Amino acid sequence: MPTYNLYMGCSVPANYPNYEAAMIKVAEAFGMDFDYMEGVACCGSPNLRAIDHMGWLTVNARTLAIGDKNGHDIVTPCNGCFASLKDAYHLLKHDKEYVQKVNKILKKEGLEFKGAAKPRHFVEALYTDVGIDEIKKKVTKPLDGVGIAIHYGCHVTRPHDVTEFDPVILQELVQATGATVIDYPLWKQCCGATVLPVNEGIAIRLARDKLKSMKDAGAVFVTVVCPACGNQLDLQQLGLKESYGEEYNLPVLFYPQILGLTMGLDEDAVGLSMNRVAAGPILNHLAE
Amino acid sequence: MTETDDKAGQPAILIDPIDMSKLDSGFRSEIKNMPDGDEINACFACSTCTAACPIANVWKYKPHQLIRMILLGMREEVLSSEEIWLCLTCFQCQERCPQKVRVTDIFFDCKNLAAEEGKIPENIKGLARELVENGQLYQVTADWEREDMGLEPEVPGLSTDGIKAILKGTRTGKITGGEE
Repeated sequence: MPTYNLYMGCSVPANYPNYEAAMIKVAEAFGMDFDYMEGVACCGSPNLRAIDHMGWLTVNARTLAIGDKNGHDIVTPCNGCFASLKDAYHLLKHDKEYVQKVNKILKKEGLEFKGAAKPRHFVEALYTDVGIDEIKKKVTKPLDGVGIAIHYGCHVTRPHDVTEFDPVILQELVQATGATVIDYPLWKQCCGATVLPVNEGIAIRLARDKLKSMKDAGAVFVTVVCPACGNQLDLQQLGLKESYGEEYNLPVLFYPQILGLTMGLDEDAVGLSMNRVAAGPILNHLAE
Repeated sequence: MTETDDKAGQPAILIDPIDMSKLDSGFRSEIKNMPDGDEINACFACSTCTAACPIANVWKYKPHQLIRMILLGMREEVLSSEEIWLCLTCFQCQERCPQKVRVTDIFFDCKNLAAEEGKIPENIKGLARELVENGQLYQVTADWEREDMGLEPEVPGLSTDGIKAILKGTRTGKITGGEE
């Protein structure tokens, strides 16, 4: 198994240490060697791209350039970080003028963007480099076919020419745990996280529509691979009782939490108690 | 039905006529020359982007209208519009455009032009301040939660100096520094 540069971004370590820990434990079990990147911070998010394209590009080119020092691929558990890094990578790979511009700035720190370290989402690296067959071998406590709705999140899947991420990856990864993937009409729709700072009402409506679509289709659990989507679908559910008078009671788990449990990790090891909508009921669906 | 009664009044039209004297004919090339504007002239106003947008119902100007407004040169209206900031950046419009117009990316370009003129929603400006001052949008506050999970209390490798230094020298620095 290769060594990877681990880029955490800011949201997962601050808000979802359960996601971080579960991911690292699962990766370790498959021999994926994760090294936290040195000297990096936030990707800036799509908000930075909106107001300061050059600043956003340079910040992310800097992270890519730090990855280029050892040339190992960069993995991240956050869709926002993935989008920022992959988008910057895509632009720099296609436009030499931008490479010159950013490298002029990065030179001050002794850094240079070369494009060797490729940014990847953690689940894509797991899917591609480890593979479904190897994953299945380690699933010792499979789920009993319980229905799980997948929310990929916009920024890992679109635009496809930039992300190169196929929305079959999570389907196969969820099926490998013994669960049934629930097909629901709004599977491509946004969770609303990005519009939260500008219009909370729209953001909540989007999260609600999404949850309703999942529940109506028969989902018992939800899985996500992004802290912002997790926040929208899990935490916002608590507020929906007040704003919409609706209760969904749909536990939202980060994918490595589900995989970890089916690989025999206990509920504390994947930080199940940190999920806002009680996720404990998933334990009842695991094989003994 | 009331057509004959209204003969002397305003003609029945859906939108106000465009004031030709206010059009900026250079706006389309300004956008075309930005990182994502290559295909904008290919738009044939089919409004697939609007059909794909999950929140177009609350937009006064729909996505296909905004693209048309750019092509017509309605610079002021586009850059002052609330819609460019409401964009979810979900890329559904862009992914479905039959003409390969990078609709979502073009709205990013528009926001950059608006930001250059200081037209930024207050909360977004707040996020910019957060990035310049702290180098992060979120900071670890509950480090005991990390320790409970067997993680280092502080994020290994984290250093915010690089990002702060970069952003002080770009537009973010200008946006956040020019006040008070």
